[in-house]
Amino acid sequence: MSQKISIRIDGELIHANSDQSILEAAHAHGKFIPSLCHMKGLTAVGACRLCIVEVAGVGRLLPACTTPVQDGMSVTTQSDKLRRYRKITLELLFAERNHVCAVCVSNGHCELQDLAQKLGVTSIRFPYTYPKVPVDLTHKKFTLDQNRCILCTRCVRVCTEVEGAHVWDVAGRGVGSRMVCELNRSWGESRYCTSCGKCVQSCPTGALAEKGFAVEEMTKRTEPISRLTDLRGANV
Amino acid sequence: MRKITDLASFNDAREAGLAKLLPPVPRIAIGMGTCGSGNGAEAVYHAFADAINHRGLSIQLARTGCFGFCAAEPLVNVWIPGKPLVILQRVQPNDVPAILDDVAAGRVPSELALCRIDEWDHITGHVKYGSGLTEIPLWNEVPFFKGQKKIVLRNCGLISPGDIEEYLAVGGYQALYKALIDGNPASIIESIKAAKLRGRGGAGFQTGSKWEFLRKAQADQKYIICNADEGDPGAYMNRNEIESDPHSLIEGMIIGGYVMNATEGIIYVRAEYPLAVHRLQTAIQQAEECGLLGDNILGRGFNFRLQMVEGAGAFVCGEETALIRSLEGKAGRPTPRPPYPAQSGLYGKPTNINNVETWYNVPPIVVKGPAWFTETGSPKSPGTKVFSLVGKVTNTGLVEMPLGTPLKTFVYDVGGGGTGGRAVKAMQTGGPSGGCIPHEMFDTPVDYESLAQIGSIMGSGGMVVMDEDNCMVDVARYFVEFTHSESCGKCIPCRVGLDKSLYYLNRITHGKGTDADLAVLDELSRMIRDTSLCGLGQTAPNPVLTTMRHFRHEFEDHIRASRCRAGVCEDLALSPCENSCPLHMNIPRFLQLLKEDRLEDAFVSVVMDNPLPASTGRVCQHPCDDRCRRTGIDESVNMREVHRHIADAIYPTERFDEMAARVAAMRKPPTGKKCAIVGAGPTGLACAFYLSILGHEVMVYDSNPDAGGMLRYALPDYRLPKSVLDREVELIRRAGVQFTFNVKVPGDISLNDLDAQYDAVFLAIGTWKESWIYLPGTELAGVIPALPFLEAVAKQQPVPLGRRVAVIGGGNAAVDSARTALRLGSEVKIIYRRERKDMPAIPEETEAAEAEGAEIVFLATPHRIVGSADGRVTAIEAVRTRLGEYDASGRRRPIPTDEIVRFNCDTVILAVGETVDLDFAKASGLKIKENGLIEVDRYTLETSRSKFYAGGDLITGASNVSNAMGYGKKAARNIDKRLMGVKRWCEVFPQLEYDQAAPAHPSDSRRHHVQEVEAEERARTFAEATLGLATVEAMEEACRCLRCDVRNGDH
Repeated sequence: MSQKISIRIDGELIHANSDQSILEAAHAHGKFIPSLCHMKGLTAVGACRLCIVEVAGVGRLLPACTTPVQDGMSVTTQSDKLRRYRKITLELLFAERNHVCAVCVSNGHCELQDLAQKLGVTSIRFPYTYPKVPVDLTHKKFTLDQNRCILCTRCVRVCTEVEGAHVWDVAGRGVGSRMVCELNRSWGESRYCTSCGKCVQSCPTGALAEKGFAVEEMTKRTEPISRLTDLRGANV
Repeated sequence: MRKITDLASFNDAREAGLAKLLPPVPRIAIGMGTCGSGNGAEAVYHAFADAINHRGLSIQLARTGCFGFCAAEPLVNVWIPGKPLVILQRVQPNDVPAILDDVAAGRVPSELALCRIDEWDHITGHVKYGSGLTEIPLWNEVPFFKGQKKIVLRNCGLISPGDIEEYLAVGGYQALYKALIDGNPASIIESIKAAKLRGRGGAGFQTGSKWEFLRKAQADQKYIICNADEGDPGAYMNRNEIESDPHSLIEGMIIGGYVMNATEGIIYVRAEYPLAVHRLQTAIQQAEECGLLGDNILGRGFNFRLQMVEGAGAFVCGEETALIRSLEGKAGRPTPRPPYPAQSGLYGKPTNINNVETWYNVPPIVVKGPAWFTETGSPKSPGTKVFSLVGKVTNTGLVEMPLGTPLKTFVYDVGGGGTGGRAVKAMQTGGPSGGCIPHEMFDTPVDYESLAQIGSIMGSGGMVVMDEDNCMVDVARYFVEFTHSESCGKCIPCRVGLDKSLYYLNRITHGKGTDADLAVLDELSRMIRDTSLCGLGQTAPNPVLTTMRHFRHEFEDHIRASRCRAGVCEDLALSPCENSCPLHMNIPRFLQLLKEDRLEDAFVSVVMDNPLPASTGRVCQHPCDDRCRRTGIDESVNMREVHRHIADAIYPTERFDEMAARVAAMRKPPTGKKCAIVGAGPTGLACAFYLSILGHEVMVYDSNPDAGGMLRYALPDYRLPKSVLDREVELIRRAGVQFTFNVKVPGDISLNDLDAQYDAVFLAIGTWKESWIYLPGTELAGVIPALPFLEAVAKQQPVPLGRRVAVIGGGNAAVDSARTALRLGSEVKIIYRRERKDMPAIPEETEAAEAEGAEIVFLATPHRIVGSADGRVTAIEAVRTRLGEYDASGRRRPIPTDEIVRFNCDTVILAVGETVDLDFAKASGLKIKENGLIEVDRYTLETSRSKFYAGGDLITGASNVSNAMGYGKKAARNIDKRLMGVKRWCEVFPQLEYDQAAPAHPSDSRRHHVQEVEAEERARTFAEATLGLATVEAMEEACRCLRCDVRNGDH
């Protein structure tokens, strides 16, 4: 069913499968498009808006993760406007919660931090919100620190789509959105959590972490999960 | 109810419905939508029911929906066989007996009549009510309905929404019958496409194409959905449509289901619309009973089920993907498209979603064909659209207009202009996703593309009219607050971006914003618009972007001058009256001080806010009157006359010296700085007074022999006795101001001389040049400009005035000239080209002039002055005008007719406006604008030359006393800041303690109007024409104040 097609990414001719998204096609050719909510193996949700790209002939910006490639498509992944917008997006994330790298278990191994360095975010123009958000330490193995959560919903998707437990979801709306465990239970009292740790490994920041790690010590691996989904053929 | 299975049973049901709609007895139907019920229609209905029952009358009583004119609710339809249907407005229960008396006697009650309907085109059917009663206007002769074309609202307010037979009687379900009999769904899609029907939810996608997608989609199950999750603040079209005519929606959806091969339909309706939910439920049930829904519809083998789902109240569920998630029982969060609902929608099945109004357009197109539909509206957007016209507009209600109608038709023709005759400032279309359109752009046609071009959207059809009481920054803030709290939180730009936008907007409305904030807000808004996931986020910055684009000055006022002109942003205004006063007088303070019987403190309060309180107390345009919140109870407080009273109680009395000394004692220690002021008019005097109080050495230059400017040389004595002005000037003198008269600048003293001698120079020469209009005959002897005329009279020089005088113009100068001429013994006619309400003159002055015997000819434009052989004026001819379209100022443009009127006269006074003496502006070497006015910084009043400031008429063109003085005050503040390098302005004002509590029982007396000398008596003399308020009256006025300045606790 999937056909071989040709597209251009930043001028370079690339062969892709017609069932790929722009982001997948780019990654397959080692091209970098920033993203946070995307994780190989999970349904793309287009939530972080960092992977926005320009497509010739389309008046608006499109998220690379949910836009399927089309034959002859010409994609621009870097432009002044895209760089500006991506920086604002990252700054908004930093301003939204309490991201204090110096005391974070994931310091040095954080996708948010990496991206900020990569995109040259050195200061935040927006005022910090400083919300009061909870930390859940009730699980015997893991911790949830909402201060570091960016609501990418990778944990939600990995738990639902790969583990099949659907422990996580988002409650509330707007800036009041919070991760909740089941119907707002503490994690330690969860009835369905299998303690598999997939959510922790999927989390791009230090929001979900394993217990027993100090600052800078938490590293995560998403490849096993992606490999698993590849093997299952569940990558839809 | 019998099942309809064939034509015979269909016709039977129709006949039964017609017998209800046009019974052999009179029919009274009460408009009982939510709007009617909210205005008391329930009580009216019960009053009718009880009275009919009690009297045993043979009258049929029915409930209908709403006919659209919400401002005139409750509406009652009265029909007597053979006569037209008459719609009564604002019917109250106590009107019921009289109405029934009339109807029982076979008369139509005409006192409350809004309009009559002889026959009605239901599009799918036609009803002829009767004829006669021509004294009542036809419905489309009423301004509110003029130009409206009811396609969507074809049945609203005329049939009972709870009775399927009445719907059948007006041609309902005929389109469905036709569609099923024809059995050619593809041709219906072709019709919809040819009709170019576009989605009425706001996006404007071609409905026909959308239908085709779904028809072509292959699936075992397809869904069609009606989006009735109307959530825009200020929009209620869909609610009313469903409440008044639910069957049209059902019919449209069944046709859609048939055409798209879907057997399941869902109506997603807001749970906040209980009446709509109820009526829809009843309608679905009736349709099922009649065999119009369910299996084997009309015996044609087509099955379609319709269910209704109540939305849980999230605004974002109006977005189609979020709506689908909500229907699935998930949280209402949008998902990215593609995949589009037509590919994978509800439960992953192909789905079509259309707005309520789109469905309403389907049956008429099926019955009448696409060619009929495209006759209405604009080529790209045919048909009509229903708008809810609300806000600061006289006639509010639901308006169905052809697409492409200009905005001004909505505001001025249909809407009747701003409430209370106020100027309309802007219109907000499209709710939180739309933008604000300034009144200068009201020529814009209302269609999808035109509104998008100016940054707004048509949206689902909300139109909120705004006047000068609406702060555009606050409007933007309000909408962002709304979208911010309705954001689903899924994507970052919308979730966090709107939160930060709101932060900046709050800061600006609190007066803490900076110019940098504006830049960040602009960039952030663009980013949110361009990168958000769904329609909510993509359009949420529109209110911010459009207000920043069209009303940037309001943002700047908040940031740079800490002013909110509308007086909405509480932190930036003391009270509405203070905010509207160009001098920003602390009006509540002097009223309270007078109330506390502290006349001297009140005087200090007044004079320190306004150094010419007696003069302005007589001649100010009193903008405070229009803003006073007391108008909500009865009439505004007569603030101008109270401060005149306070001033008059001091100036002419022995207390003057003492008070002058008290004011002089407030002068700050000498600063050693020297300031020159050119022009001793109100602007110059105000500036001089404050600079002197601030401790500077002030010299005022004027070419006239005395101070006062226009107050002395243009305002006639009967308005402002010179003795009053003399005392005020004396007080300013005692405050340290020095004068040099009979000196021309530049001329006797050059600007360079001033530059050399002074640390700051303020230019405040007024507009001393009369504008000249060029008509045939203006060269004749006897044609004189108004200002020199008034000046000559003021200087008691001889004026050659004839027996009959014609004054051209409608401003204060025209009325002053007329009243002065009357006093010199002439007969006077004022010729003005527009209507009375458009006259710029103070209304009281115009009325006084008429009382004194001046005749005003409205709607006449002079076109030539007739002269005799010896070159003297003998008559003036004017072309009669009629009122044409509305112009950008919201006034109707005078259009010349063929009729010419001639007035015999021997003097013509031209009072068509004053301008700045261009020679001065040019000679000054300062940067001037195209219109000859001097260019200054709006906030500091600095000119292009350092040290030089300018204010008053010199920078604005002819204005009025208080505006001019406001500039003088502002200049003093900025000059002092510049000279001293610190902000000392607040130190000038006296700290007076006074009661800070809102009166529990404000005086309930009515407004006291100033006493006038009898017209006949005053018209013979130049003695003052008004006597001011008596002490008791002034005190009572002060007691009427509601004290809007009082803050609760923390302020």
